Amino acid sequence: MVQSPVSKAVLPGQRPSAQAVSYPNGNPDLGYNPTGARNTDSAIPLHRNKAVIHDYTCDGPAAGDLAFRWIHGSNVAAKNRDPRVQVVQYNEDSFVLRQNVCVHWEAPFTYLLFGNTGALLIDSGATAEAKHYPLRETVDAIVTRWCQARGRRTIPLTIALTSGEDIAQNQGLVQFAGRPDTTIVPKPLEVMKRFYGLGGSWPSGTGRIDLGDRVIEVIPTPGAHKDGVSFYDPYCDFLFTGDLLFPGKINIAHDRDFLASLERLKAFAAKSPVKWILGGHIEMMFVPGKYYRRFTIHKPYERVLEMEPALIDEAILYAREVLGKDMMLIRPDFALFNGVSPDQRTKVWPAGVPNITPPFHF
Amino acid sequence: MDRRTFLSYNAVAAAIPLSGVALTGLADAASAAVRPKPVDFRSNPGTGSFPDKWICGSSSCMDNTDPAIQVHWYNPHTAILRQNKAYSYEAPFAPLYFGNNRVLLLDEGYVQLRNDYDLRGVVDQCIEDWCRRNGRDPASMELLVAFTHLHDDHFAATNQFADRPNTRYMGLTHEEMVGFWGMTNFPEERVTLDLGGRDILIWGSPGHVVSEFAYYDSYTQILYTGDMFYRGRCYISFWQPWFDSMTRLIEFCDTHPVTHVMGCHVEISRDGQDYAYGMTWQPDEAPVEMTVQQLREAYAHAQKITEPGIYFTGTVFLCNQTRGTTTIDKNPYRYS
Repeated sequence: MVQSPVSKAVLPGQRPSAQAVSYPNGNPDLGYNPTGARNTDSAIPLHRNKAVIHDYTCDGPAAGDLAFRWIHGSNVAAKNRDPRVQVVQYNEDSFVLRQNVCVHWEAPFTYLLFGNTGALLIDSGATAEAKHYPLRETVDAIVTRWCQARGRRTIPLTIALTSGEDIAQNQGLVQFAGRPDTTIVPKPLEVMKRFYGLGGSWPSGTGRIDLGDRVIEVIPTPGAHKDGVSFYDPYCDFLFTGDLLFPGKINIAHDRDFLASLERLKAFAAKSPVKWILGGHIEMMFVPGKYYRRFTIHKPYERVLEMEPALIDEAILYAREVLGKDMMLIRPDFALFNGVSPDQRTKVWPAGVPNITPPFHF
Repeated sequence: MDRRTFLSYNAVAAAIPLSGVALTGLADAASAAVRPKPVDFRSNPGTGSFPDKWICGSSSCMDNTDPAIQVHWYNPHTAILRQNKAYSYEAPFAPLYFGNNRVLLLDEGYVQLRNDYDLRGVVDQCIEDWCRRNGRDPASMELLVAFTHLHDDHFAATNQFADRPNTRYMGLTHEEMVGFWGMTNFPEERVTLDLGGRDILIWGSPGHVVSEFAYYDSYTQILYTGDMFYRGRCYISFWQPWFDSMTRLIEFCDTHPVTHVMGCHVEISRDGQDYAYGMTWQPDEAPVEMTVQQLREAYAHAQKITEPGIYFTGTVFLCNQTRGTTTIDKNPYRYS
């Protein structure tokens, strides 16, 4: 490979020349450094004597990717040997965790975000037993490693749920009982509102969770759950919507609230940039409008997790259509179930959407 | 070939042109062995017992350490197999009936591959155990691999028996199924399969699907009703054929002693709670066996049904033309 003339790697013990700019950890302008590498800490000094203070301000969303395929269970669940918690690092301060489908079919996603003064765990998984689903152990390991990289001993952890009542997301909380330096957002609706300072204004207004230069906004979004909230991360420009909007079968608990919450999200997205919407589960397949039924423990044809913000508009449009009616409705990226059984089926196929049947797997 | 010839046809002899020398050797060994006194299946009904609790999955599937197939010996000549819920949520039951000359396996579970789910190994082991107890040579016993109806959760593992010597298995079309039992007038015709002193009565029982049989074992007097009547959600695709099949079952029970009515699945708890389609853990599931009285109650209930819908008879859910996988679940988080 031909060395680029601007690259002047400085060997240990050598003094950098006075006039040339030196890049002790590599020049971020070089072609092989991905866009946004300059926003990461890849150039931090090796030996630090104080905690690194990261600059969370950046133009546009912070770089990162979800390039790994999610673990998706196996045909014979008893023989599954995938990790119980899959950890994908989106960027240095954002982690996406997924529960193994063969531990619990809901296979919820859990998000771990770090700021300069705190960490936030959004949701807690569907299984309480630590030996089946070691969420606490995994989070502790990530926190420890992150603290080492940032030259810290510890960082306070806050645990918040997209819905306190959702048993697919609140079961892992018990593992964190007694964890030092940990705040758990209370589950009962009234106490939770007061915690976020939304006691008087719910469901309008927003709360804040300050992680230190990374302020997560809390948006009340009841509709799929009475106590549903969404979280907005201004660093990665993510909206974490839990069960309200995700690529799957959205069970509407209250259709007017559901519509109002989507409109609130839309208004929010109009004033704050949103790169992706990340929900709590995946149930859709990668062919449009097809989904896995409940209790499936093998989902090889899953759709990707991330949703474009334009999907809020589509969800609003079709939430209006199911408003006040007991019916289900299929869209390419989600399905709405209003007032019907979660196993409801329909023969109505959305117009203009190709009807593709993925191969069945034994 | 008529039905009687077909059923008494020597499968070993028939197999020689296909697979040659090895089988001839087995047949020679079998005939050389001194056959002990045959088991008398006719003079006394074979009483037996079901387990108090079957293995029924676990909260975390990947942590399930139960065997892939639970083998329960109902009595010394009858084994009942059940697939583990962590291997398939359908977890069908599969009776294995032993006669003096033949063994009948009904239903094969919902996993195809032998290295995922070794049905063949378990069945071979059962046959070996039975033969050891009764002084037979396993190679001399013909195995019939059949199923109750043409659904994949009942025949998926059939191919594991494709290379087994001295074995005949049912084909996967309606014509092959009916032909396997030599029926010419499906579903009314009732045929008798002789396993060697042990008669299995077989007749058509459509309704859940078109191609379905009811099996009655004259030794244990268990009436095996497949998926058209079982302890859970009986998905009735075709009402009138199903109702006629029920009538045939009731008429059969009027004229024959029946100890238990047994279906292929359990999808209900002891207190009548529905385990939704696809669940992999049924901690308090109801027993698989039902009484004739429960069958009669369901029939009485069915006589009042005129519309599609889900009806609970006290024992089973009759899902009349609701399409498969329907459950009675509601969204638990609804509020107003």
